Amino acid sequence: MKPCVMLTVFCCILCAAFMTIPSAQEQPQEASPPSPAPSSDAAQKLGLKQAIMCERVENLTPVRPGLAFSVSSGQVCCFTSFEPVPQPTVIYHRWFRRDELSTQTRLRLYSPKWSTYSVIQLRETDKGPWRVEIIDQNGHVFDVLRFSITD
Amino acid sequence: MTRLIAFLSSVRWQDIVDILINSYILLRVYILFQGTNAFRVLVGITSLWILQEVAASIGLILTSWAIRGITAAAAIIIIVVFRNEIRTALQVRNLKAFLWGFPNREQTTPVDVITESVFQMAKRRTGALIVFPGKEDLGEAIHGGLSWNGTVSPEMLLSIFWPQNPVHDGAIIINGSRITEVGVLLPLSQRQDLPSYYGTRHRAAVGLSERTDALVVVVSEERGRVSIAKDYTLKPVIDSEELAQAIRKHLNFPDISPARQHERERLKLVVAAGLSLLIMTGIWFGFTRSQDTIIALNVPIEYVNRPANYEILDTSVDEARLQLFGSSALIKSLKQGQVGVRIDLSKAAEGRNTFTITQDDIILPPGVSLNKIQPAVIDVTLDIPTTRELPIQVDWVGRLPENMVLSSVTVTPETVKVIGGSKTLEKVSTVYTAPVRLDSLTRSGSVTTQVVLSPPSLRVASASPEKVTIQYLLSERNSPAKK
Repeated sequence: MKPCVMLTVFCCILCAAFMTIPSAQEQPQEASPPSPAPSSDAAQKLGLKQAIMCERVENLTPVRPGLAFSVSSGQVCCFTSFEPVPQPTVIYHRWFRRDELSTQTRLRLYSPKWSTYSVIQLRETDKGPWRVEIIDQNGHVFDVLRFSITD
Repeated sequence: MTRLIAFLSSVRWQDIVDILINSYILLRVYILFQGTNAFRVLVGITSLWILQEVAASIGLILTSWAIRGITAAAAIIIIVVFRNEIRTALQVRNLKAFLWGFPNREQTTPVDVITESVFQMAKRRTGALIVFPGKEDLGEAIHGGLSWNGTVSPEMLLSIFWPQNPVHDGAIIINGSRITEVGVLLPLSQRQDLPSYYGTRHRAAVGLSERTDALVVVVSEERGRVSIAKDYTLKPVIDSEELAQAIRKHLNFPDISPARQHERERLKLVVAAGLSLLIMTGIWFGFTRSQDTIIALNVPIEYVNRPANYEILDTSVDEARLQLFGSSALIKSLKQGQVGVRIDLSKAAEGRNTFTITQDDIILPPGVSLNKIQPAVIDVTLDIPTTRELPIQVDWVGRLPENMVLSSVTVTPETVKVIGGSKTLEKVSTVYTAPVRLDSLTRSGSVTTQVVLSPPSLRVASASPEKVTIQYLLSERNSPAKK
């Protein structure tokens, strides 16, 4: 088998996540499509390529993205894609309903690029404005996604 | 003895001033209204009121209610019936005279001159009509008349009633030593029982005596007789002495020397002043010293002297429950605003401050005392006001049509400056708009709404707008998603 072919084969690893409050059940997921690693990874900074709210993730692709989600859809996902990922690291998805932390998910990232997402299950009491802060382990905020859970 | 000293030490200077002021008011009422019918009725009403209080205190329910009704009705009637007297008593030249002066007891009316002139006119068969006003105002009873203001003298009287004089048919009004008006038309009596030989002059005299407390002297032109009309009656007068006595009595002229009269007046005033003081002291003690009633009130707590750089962030209670006691009259008359709890924050520091409510913090009207307060301790949290720029997020509500997706939202401006306590603002990271409904959205567009600050202690800085514009992009379910 050629080395380039071998390089293209990667495994997906699930992200570890914490369930912090019962109102929003979060499902930790992780996935990373295989891609060639650049030679100067260590010198680069972790970069957020894409962050998007969606109803679900299928084949590492966000499905039904939007900014307002009906509670009847049952769940909502925060999909993030990082590139480059210089070294394995950890990021967090912090879910806030209004200004109250609802849940926080710990997600692992692996070189050279990684896509991952967190999800919460929706209940009637979850209606209202939400935001998800995507931060690293040092508290650096990559992005804040704002959306609403509606009828 | 000890109780007396304790009692005297509990009397404040304000209480003494209170009693003195009200005693003086009572004395002034007496001075202004003494001798009038209104005053007599007023005394009657006061007696009724006392009777009603006694009846109520011993449990005579029906009697106390009946007397209360009569007293209320009488109070209205006195104003209507005695309006002229009240007006005359209150008609003084200036405030000083109202507050300090004494109504002039006009003693200069030359009664002898008048009586001699009257009988001289009677001898000559010259008709005359002379009015001596009493306490009541004649304004509404008489008509016409010319202002004269001449000094009373036999010549003056004879010339006014001389038959060739144009005003000889009317009446004259004598106030003190002056003829104030001539040619005055008096109201005619409608009585049927007057003798037929009484002419218009006599009917006019009786008519005025029916409506007012004035004394009217009539000289008959036909028969040369002198009569006096007062209090509905017309009485013939035989000689000048009898007439003089009647006039003196009407004018309250004393039969004693002026010096003696002055002495008597002074004594009367001293007694009246003493009685006023006694009555008011009694009323005051009745009102303020009995402590037979207890009441519980919920009173809002007022926080004063807050340091300028702090804001009140939170208080453990907003109102206190005060249990007060005092006389039933004072307790019943308590009004909103008379009772208060005022906490001085001048020595408060940032963070939580605990205050014990003391007697000094409670505002009570005189005569009302504090029995108990709940809670006795309150917590006040102070914070330093600060400004923070916060992002604005749309609060979407409702539901989009199934085939539509809200794919992009832009809020203008993106942020708003908010002023509030630093500790409050620490917990706030986003400002939300008022709810915006999704149901009515069918295509992309924009909407203007206002921001809603929570908690309400926050406010938008003057430089920041309170309204924001939301531009939203709607797309079909299958169209490419945008962040």
